[in-house]
Amino acid sequence: MNDISKLAELRKLLLGMERSLGLEDLSSVERDIYYAASELSKTTPSVRTTVLLNHALMQDVSRPTFFRALKSLVGKGYMSQSATSRRGVYIVHAPQK
Amino acid sequence: MAVKSLRFEIVVWSSAYLAAFAVTFGILVPLQNLAFPEFPSQASLLFLPQGVRVLAAWLLGWRAVPALLPAIFISYCYLAGWDVFSLTCYTCIAIATFTAPTVFWITTNTICDLRPNASASVGWPCVMLAGTVASAVSGFLLNLTLNSAPQDYIAYFIGDVSGLFFLMMILMLFFRWQRKRHPQPGE
Repeated sequence: MNDISKLAELRKLLLGMERSLGLEDLSSVERDIYYAASELSKTTPSVRTTVLLNHALMQDVSRPTFFRALKSLVGKGYMSQSATSRRGVYIVHAPQK
Repeated sequence: MAVKSLRFEIVVWSSAYLAAFAVTFGILVPLQNLAFPEFPSQASLLFLPQGVRVLAAWLLGWRAVPALLPAIFISYCYLAGWDVFSLTCYTCIAIATFTAPTVFWITTNTICDLRPNASASVGWPCVMLAGTVASAVSGFLLNLTLNSAPQDYIAYFIGDVSGLFFLMMILMLFFRWQRKRHPQPGE
């Protein structure tokens, strides 16, 4: 493991601590996407971006902002791309403790 | 390449250890003496260097030993003066240097793999727990070596565990501040 990945591991560890302490904050768009995806994932295990984009909470969100926030949510571990489906399908995860 | 990497680790981790040591003995201990003048032990109740030891042991494994040894030796020079060249001090330095990597090695090989890697994410409570065990073991051995009073055993334990927790908190807040300063897309 090189020095950069050690730093990344340390940051990952402390991000988990931040989440456990309830300090990690999502942007309003990220929060809306996460709420919408959580709601949609109650009926199906995975959520399609096309369905997510049509959710009531997404009406005032532009497509570029939506996809930027979605990418950020994936980076933070709240969502991940479905391994079994084609692109544009996501799985919702509970915030890591 | 390996020598260069080790040299880099020694510089980074020893500097971090000495910085934590300077903050502890330059700021926290005087504040502690002001706040609790009747406190019988000389031990710091917020010993930040223990956090550096534990995080180094978690991230570097056995490489934490050479990475921290220079700083631990310098810190004992400050605390003990010329007595640093005594068997008692050598034992204390060895305990301070080897305990955390040993606890992480034993935990990884017997209970659960605590090594940081990209595939499996180790939670901070696991590192904190292993650090707490390392603090208990090193505190016990150090006080046994120094023939300390019973209250020192407790003071060392409190200082080491709180030092680890607060160092992690400080780093967490630093990374959080850095993230807010340079937000990623979507943040």
